[in-house]
Amino acid sequence: MKEPVYEVFARKSREEPLRHIGWVNASDGDLARVYAWKTYDEQNWAEMCVIPRAAILPVDPDESQFVTAAKSESEDEIVHSRGTGSYGGADVAVKEGR
Amino acid sequence: MTETLPAAAYESADALPEDVRQPLRDLILALADSKRVLGLRYSDRMLGSPTLEAGIAASSMAQDEWGHARLTYALLGDLGDDPKALEHERGAAEYRSISALDADLRGWSGMIAAALLVDMALTAQYAALVDSRYAPVRNRVQKLLDEEKFHFQYAAGWARQISQGPELRGELAAELARVLPQALRWLGRDDAPGMERLVQEGIVRDQPSARRARFLARVGPVLEEIGAAEQLGVTRDGAEWTYTGALDWSGWDDATRRAGGSLDEETAARARGDKNRALLMD
Repeated sequence: MKEPVYEVFARKSREEPLRHIGWVNASDGDLARVYAWKTYDEQNWAEMCVIPRAAILPVDPDESQFVTAAKSESEDEIVHSRGTGSYGGADVAVKEGR
Repeated sequence: MTETLPAAAYESADALPEDVRQPLRDLILALADSKRVLGLRYSDRMLGSPTLEAGIAASSMAQDEWGHARLTYALLGDLGDDPKALEHERGAAEYRSISALDADLRGWSGMIAAALLVDMALTAQYAALVDSRYAPVRNRVQKLLDEEKFHFQYAAGWARQISQGPELRGELAAELARVLPQALRWLGRDDAPGMERLVQEGIVRDQPSARRARFLARVGPVLEEIGAAEQLGVTRDGAEWTYTGALDWSGWDDATRRAGGSLDEETAARARGDKNRALLMD
């Protein structure tokens, strides 16, 4: 099962611009929001947003850290590595290639 | 828009009418014990979760639950209990945690059924205290409810994800069917001793039946979306959700919110912190 990537943006106060702080894998927006909030909790964020990576359109794709939907197949292999095997065994049968 | 709460009428338990003190104490202890055990059950799922993110979130939720338990036990100090003794000195049979948590959660489906139904039943009960006229309770509940929004999203998201594949759909349905009646029953009976007085005094917002309806209104749409509502006996009429099954009240104790059975000793020992008892500080 391949999960989409959601990029995480946050700011500590309303005056600050949102900045990119990381990413999470999640099957939907609900889980992406929870994972982002629970994973990147080192700061007392005033605002946090998650954005599907596929929704980001880099103006210059060659210079972008974000991977567009057009490149997603090759990127999937890199970013969709799963923790299941290395986190004490799987309770859930996770199927590749949903 | 910020809702203005009515002035709290009871700043401390000393000011409470005598006949509401015991039912309030019973309610708070049942909440605290359930939160403590739910935190333990979540913590068992921190490792071996399907994804790294799911494990991190389960770990954080376990911490949340233990925090909620701690602040809920602390409330009992005002009602004449020794919170430390309640947390560290009781045997398994004295725990008033919800029966659905008496045994380990069954796999990841059990984790998600507990997060959706047990956690949200407890949340429905806390929500009935958020505008309580008993100030110590009212002052502590809002932050807890804010954190529970994430627990709900987590539970809903995973229920959807599991239901999209054939492997675990049946297992999740079975766990939901096992837990739902216990979660609904835990919310209590309208005619429980002292319940009406708690509502009359504005300490608890409304009757258990109203709480059940609110709980169903929250989880019902998720159950419907994953195709489990009908089988579980959860139906909707407009915005109103109903459970069509019959709740079994035989042997029900309104004070402990249990009908027999008990938490196991091993879990109680973990809840008490027996392993590091020698290091327990005053």
